[in-house]
Amino acid sequence: MTCRGVRRRLSAYLDGDLRPAESGEVRVHLEACAECAERCLGLRAALGALSALPRLEGSDGISARVLDRIELERRGPGFALLVRRWGAGRPLIIPSLLSAALILMVVLAGALALDRINDPGPLPEVATRGGSETWSMSAPSGSEGNPLFQSADVTAPRARGTAFPDHVLAEMAEGTLFVETVVARDGTVSTVTLLNGDSREARPLLEALRRERFEPGRLKGRPVAVSVYRLISRMDVLASIT
Amino acid sequence: MASVDMALASEALPWEGASDGRLLELCRGGDPRAFARLVALHEGMVFNLAARLLGDPEEAKDASQEVFLQVFRTLARFEGRSSLRTWIFRIVVNHCRNRQRWWRRRKKDRCCAIEDLTPSQEARLPAGPESESPYEHARRVEEARHVQAALLRLSFDHRAILLLREVEGLSCEQVAAALHVPEGTVKSRLARARDALRRQLEATLGSARP
Repeated sequence: MTCRGVRRRLSAYLDGDLRPAESGEVRVHLEACAECAERCLGLRAALGALSALPRLEGSDGISARVLDRIELERRGPGFALLVRRWGAGRPLIIPSLLSAALILMVVLAGALALDRINDPGPLPEVATRGGSETWSMSAPSGSEGNPLFQSADVTAPRARGTAFPDHVLAEMAEGTLFVETVVARDGTVSTVTLLNGDSREARPLLEALRRERFEPGRLKGRPVAVSVYRLISRMDVLASIT
Repeated sequence: MASVDMALASEALPWEGASDGRLLELCRGGDPRAFARLVALHEGMVFNLAARLLGDPEEAKDASQEVFLQVFRTLARFEGRSSLRTWIFRIVVNHCRNRQRWWRRRKKDRCCAIEDLTPSQEARLPAGPESESPYEHARRVEEARHVQAALLRLSFDHRAILLLREVEGLSCEQVAAALHVPEGTVKSRLARARDALRRQLEATLGSARP
């Protein structure tokens, strides 16, 4: 018998499962072949070590837990918790539930109290500009219907070319005009509103302002409609009397 | 239903010495004291097999509990083709295999740590003969730890077949019934499992010995 054949039969040989003739052949081979004999010894040692493994202790309490579960399943958990005799199962269940409820109430009360302290109160009223037809709260912020004002975030529109021709100023009477110009997102002027001054005298000037062109104002790089307020004054300078 | 407390005091009742068949009959009749007796008779071997298969005493305790619950729920379906003990072994092996699959899927990183949990358990070995020196005892503990570690490095099927045959002492026929495989498969698998264990032990114990 070859070494391979013997090694294949070693397990059955140790169990005494081989036919007598086969078993004899294996025995003869093992006496002659040191390597196979060593393999057989190793196998015997492994099986010896395995059968010498001690029983592990630690099954205490399994019966009680199993029977407890079976009882719970039979009665249904809610009913079992309520009718369980005090001495039988978990006598601390009701006190622990009570203390848990108490802790929950304290935590909830604390959370509510903190919430009240941090309450900022009613929000301030939104300031609106009454009476103006160009102002619409429903239009999106930054559009022509609801322009933004210049601020740190909103860049001012810059006029392209001259503001208005000299003859317009020449026709203007002496005095000061207060004008709001809404510069649209495309740089055109969408509205011009005279806020203070003589509207009849100012008409040519307002027409000229409507034709102005701007580099639009921007918010975070995006063009937005911006309100621009300007005071325009004309003062005749007379020759000094000598 | 009679009180469970009474069931726990089963030693004082006439279930002592009842045969498996009689005990089964009483359990199927819904007698909690008979089932308590059945659990008491088998809990040690169920725990030992589960602990050796899983390598974790706490997991083994939970598994044992689940095994007995399953025994209770399926008692009516037990046909008696194998012995009660073999049937319970089958439930243990199936349950532990499922539990280990669940571990592998969810706690891949913790799979290798289980063998570290056994030394404390092995250290509680019952004392040997009085003549055993402290050195001998320590050596025995260490050897048991090595064998358990080697077992845990084998595949689950190899571990299960070795434990049933060599530790629980089941015959090949009983192992075949417990694992639900043909007897021929048991013999060939047993040969491979024994050789795998020999190699594992030689790799650890062999290198430590002079």
